[in-house]
Amino acid sequence: MREFFEKLSRIDRRIIYLTVFLATAIPILTKITMKIEPLPEVVKAYNYIESLPESTIVMVSIDYDAASMPELQPMLETFLHHAFRKNLKVIMLGHWPLGLPLGQQALEDLAKKYNKVYGVDYVFLGYRPGVAAVIINMGKEIRNVFSTDYKYTPIDSLPLMRRVKNYKDIKLLFGLEAGAVGDSWIQYGYARYGLPIILGTTAVMTPDYYPYLQANQVISVIGGLRGAADYETLVGIKGQASIGMLPQSVIHLVIIAFIIIGNIGFLVLRRTKK
Amino acid sequence: MSNIIWTWIAAFFTLAILSFLYKDNPFYKFAEHVYVGSSAAFMVLYVWVFDAYPKLVIGFTEKVGVQRYLLIIPLILSLFILLRFIKPLSWLSRWPIAFTVGMAAGLGITGLTQGFLVPQVQASILPLFVKGSTAGETILYTFNNWIIVLGTIFTILYFYFSREHKGILGVSSKVGITILMITFGASFGYTIMARISLLIGRIYFLLHNWLKLV
Amino acid sequence: MKKEIPLAITFISGFLLVLALFIPHKPFGNLEEIFNDWYIIVSGFTMLLGIDSLLGYNFGKIRRKEKDAPYALILILSFFLTLLWGVIEIIRTPEHNPFSPSSTFSRYFYNSIFVPLQSTMFAILSFFIASAAYRAFRAKEFNSALLLVSAVIVMLGRIPLGQGAAPYVITIIFLIFAWYFYSEAVGITETRIKLIYILVAILFVVLIYPIGWVYLRQHIPSFSDWLMNVPQMAGKRGIMIGIALGGIAMSIRIILGIERTYMK
Repeated sequence: MREFFEKLSRIDRRIIYLTVFLATAIPILTKITMKIEPLPEVVKAYNYIESLPESTIVMVSIDYDAASMPELQPMLETFLHHAFRKNLKVIMLGHWPLGLPLGQQALEDLAKKYNKVYGVDYVFLGYRPGVAAVIINMGKEIRNVFSTDYKYTPIDSLPLMRRVKNYKDIKLLFGLEAGAVGDSWIQYGYARYGLPIILGTTAVMTPDYYPYLQANQVISVIGGLRGAADYETLVGIKGQASIGMLPQSVIHLVIIAFIIIGNIGFLVLRRTKK
Repeated sequence: MSNIIWTWIAAFFTLAILSFLYKDNPFYKFAEHVYVGSSAAFMVLYVWVFDAYPKLVIGFTEKVGVQRYLLIIPLILSLFILLRFIKPLSWLSRWPIAFTVGMAAGLGITGLTQGFLVPQVQASILPLFVKGSTAGETILYTFNNWIIVLGTIFTILYFYFSREHKGILGVSSKVGITILMITFGASFGYTIMARISLLIGRIYFLLHNWLKLV
Repeated sequence: MKKEIPLAITFISGFLLVLALFIPHKPFGNLEEIFNDWYIIVSGFTMLLGIDSLLGYNFGKIRRKEKDAPYALILILSFFLTLLWGVIEIIRTPEHNPFSPSSTFSRYFYNSIFVPLQSTMFAILSFFIASAAYRAFRAKEFNSALLLVSAVIVMLGRIPLGQGAAPYVITIIFLIFAWYFYSEAVGITETRIKLIYILVAILFVVLIYPIGWVYLRQHIPSFSDWLMNVPQMAGKRGIMIGIALGGIAMSIRIILGIERTYMK
């Protein structure tokens, strides 16, 4: 008996790895998507975006890179679907240079799908170093930071940008956050200029943004793959995040099972030792 | 055709990194060194594409008068950073570093006070009795506010190390650690979710884009 | 002079920003804007710090013909090839930007080499965290049990299958706790304490149905919402206020020149 429990508390790591791999791969192969009840935070974010009148200008900030792509890319794509369907005007920039092309590729792809015109319906500004300084100076005059877009076209030659002086002309910042740039948006963009903010965050960062949510410093937070799937459901698209819900469920149950197995072994052995 | 080749290359690098799970091996090492080397090259490209060219080169051509000449200061500071690579003059690189450190400190103070401390403390000053529409709501809302107010204070007290945790401080820091355990547990749960999501993304790539099974 | 000037620069730049927050009018407001602009330019160049030592270190490995010299060579080659490809695209494309979707650099190199490398590098952490959860997540005492329960509830509350699975998971966890308290009780000689342990064990068994099968089966999503919004939030806020106070203190020390480690 004791040997059995000892085995239970000492499963080889490679068996765990293999189980994790299979518990992810098999559910993906089934292609089953699940019905989910969207979290209240996501509903709040959706409703706010839904309430924006046509041709309102929104800003998207790419503050992540490939390391968080599976979580944040679906959120970005869903937001762009949502914005373009509602005919909102999108200005995109980023603070994580390594992830910048991910944002721009999604923007170009979806703009093409919705027949949007560069410079009129959407603009890609690019990146400038120095997060906080960028956010503060854009609040005074966006041209001080970005006098040109990513391909060095003066922004005053773009019809959309002629309408924008600073945050007063932007009704929403949608920040995709894999780190602390979201804090900077809140601490400078919202605190100094009252910029309305919705954040799409990786699950690792999500708990960190709850204090801001409770203090009403952000409109809402869409957290992790689950948040992304909720948002996809609300906007009505079957994206990557929805496909990920079954494997996400299965693998979590597997991990919970491992935690329980580990504890059974541990507690029994501790008893018998005494 | 070229798309297929590039998908295979992507699959190769994905599998090379995954192979680390079995054990450290030449494929993993190869992929790892490609990653580090190319990341460093990205940085150099960024500095030119999104910083030096638009801010300095274009800046000089489009700005006029004093504004234009003021750009000489950041230009010199930026060049001083590069002096780090030249030993006898490397001490000059302290100037731009001192500037960025000073700026970061100044930005930090203003952001943290105005954008974090004041609103967060304000949001923690909550009524300790809230009347809801039903008795149940009244109890729940009141209870929640007590937890938020006391939980925040006790957690801060737990991190107060200037005094021995005895007496009232001892009790409150015990409550603080209980709240902290819930916080860490929730964070850990979310961290697991995040990591798993990344794995789902990679495996989906292998099954969908590469093997076309899904 | 080698120390005084940098200290003065730090003091002036840091102090000015604080001043400008309180007096946002001329001249401080404008100065803040100019300083920020300089910071945007200069901080970009700080990204180059470290690249010299990275390359130098790896060139050294090759020169000394160390065991992993071939990998050092790969690192250096991939640095220069990436750079070269980028520079070609800067010159060749009409956007002069290697990161724009039309450039081959972005389409091939970024999408097929860089993205798989970076995302897989982080994806393998999922295996380690699963293994760590199994190995380290042990209910050794009250606090670690609380940590474990809070993590499990948050996970169950956030996955679509969680509601269905919650009753079973709670049943197993509570049975383990009950068994644990009962088996502890067996070894205790003092009757009063023994009784308390046995009562706790019974309580866990009794609570399985109302908590697991009635309450959590229906309410685990909203319960984990509550956990996130109330106790979790309070703890996080406490931690973050502590960090903020520390950050402010550190910034003041830097501006006043007490903290000078950055000058080394």
